[in-house]
Amino acid sequence: MKRAVIIFIVLLFNLIFQSTVLQYFRINSVIPNTALAVIISIALLRGRLEGCLTGFGAGILQDIFFGNSLGYYALLGVLSGYITGRFNHNYYRENYALPVFLCFTGTLIYESAVFFTGAFFDGYLNYFYFLVNIILPEAVYTAVVSIIIYRLLFSINDWIEKSEKHKRKLFSIK
Amino acid sequence: MNFFNTYKKQILYLVIALLIILAFFTVGRKSKATPIDNILGFIVTPAQNISTSVSSWFSDKISSFRDETDITSENEELKAQVELLEAENKRLSMYEEENKRLSALLDISQKYPDYETTGTNVIAKDPGNWFLTFTIDKGTKDGLAPDMALTDAGGLVGRITECGYIYSKVESILDSRSSVSAMSLRTGDLGVVKGDYTLMNDGLCKMEYIDAESEIMKGDEIVTSYLSDIYPSGITIGYVNEVVTDENGLTKYAVIEPSVDFKHISTLLVITDSFAQTSSLSEETQQTPSSADTQNQSAGDE
Repeated sequence: MKRAVIIFIVLLFNLIFQSTVLQYFRINSVIPNTALAVIISIALLRGRLEGCLTGFGAGILQDIFFGNSLGYYALLGVLSGYITGRFNHNYYRENYALPVFLCFTGTLIYESAVFFTGAFFDGYLNYFYFLVNIILPEAVYTAVVSIIIYRLLFSINDWIEKSEKHKRKLFSIK
Repeated sequence: MNFFNTYKKQILYLVIALLIILAFFTVGRKSKATPIDNILGFIVTPAQNISTSVSSWFSDKISSFRDETDITSENEELKAQVELLEAENKRLSMYEEENKRLSALLDISQKYPDYETTGTNVIAKDPGNWFLTFTIDKGTKDGLAPDMALTDAGGLVGRITECGYIYSKVESILDSRSSVSAMSLRTGDLGVVKGDYTLMNDGLCKMEYIDAESEIMKGDEIVTSYLSDIYPSGITIGYVNEVVTDENGLTKYAVIEPSVDFKHISTLLVITDSFAQTSSLSEETQQTPSSADTQNQSAGDE
């Protein structure tokens, strides 16, 4: 429960950060997808179930405040959490290469999905243009930012896990 | 946890199916926010408000530090400009008086009435790269409603798509989902100003469906037309940057540079005489400016 509340606060904070402060850090009007970095980090640290739930939470928040329909970003979030949660089993948490690499490819796939379900149907068939001008820069930017986000979530996760362990011990003594 | 592990696939498929159905059913919803939206709005909106004020304060400080040297010369330039504008203003107000008198003689109502407006602040922008929507800090509490138009100093910004209790969602004219019925002020040619994915990040938009024989050219002022259901007529949208003939040779499109700088919007005006609402009620209310517009509109449709 405590974990759920903390992750929800992280997601709310991310939404606020992404829609206000980060707007002043647009590079060539491209903004990093920090929500995806949060989803991927948590999926890596905690596995599929929590990856899916985090993805759902982050997505539904974006749907409510900026979306066109309810469920679109939530679906993308659930899928990203599920797919990256697979890598939870066999990697070392202290290894930063995997989260950064996953954030890069994840953003590429995520934004391509957004393109092929949105702009493509509006008659913008030139995928290459959007790949070079929006998707690739965003993927690079997200990968760089994900180092910080992963580090933060790593510590938060450590802290929660420790307190949970402590609680279990208290109960086992009895 | 065990339950999830056994039925992982099935649960995932179920969730995906539910979300797809939900997304299809709620697409393009634009009305009052649901209670859940409002509760979240109460948490998120004030935080966004603070966060935006703080970051814009820093941004201002940094840019003013950078621009300090230019300020004196800019001040002189502006003073000269103010003088020029004052003179022009006097001339125009004379025209206005004359226009009023002549209109009264002709017994027609003003085509460009003064709209009632209320000020508002932009508190958050879309966190993605595909759309240009933002949130403002007023909602139904302050009498706003969906489909009200927003302007910045002298130019059209967009319209409200959804109203919460203390916040509203705004779709800007650069957003690819937006389309505004527009008119060239000089030639009277009609067209539709639409957002464009490729032009959006350069702060430009596109005016489509212009007649191939129209004499629209670079530098022409584009305003909202009297055909629109949502936008009041006569609001400046921007100026023509480039005119291109379509491949079919029957129509042209123009690249428009909006008179609003969408990278630095902060304070906006909402036109609170909801044009959409009054025009739908105009059969009952007579001789209001908007009903005159609706008559124009039906004349235009014919």
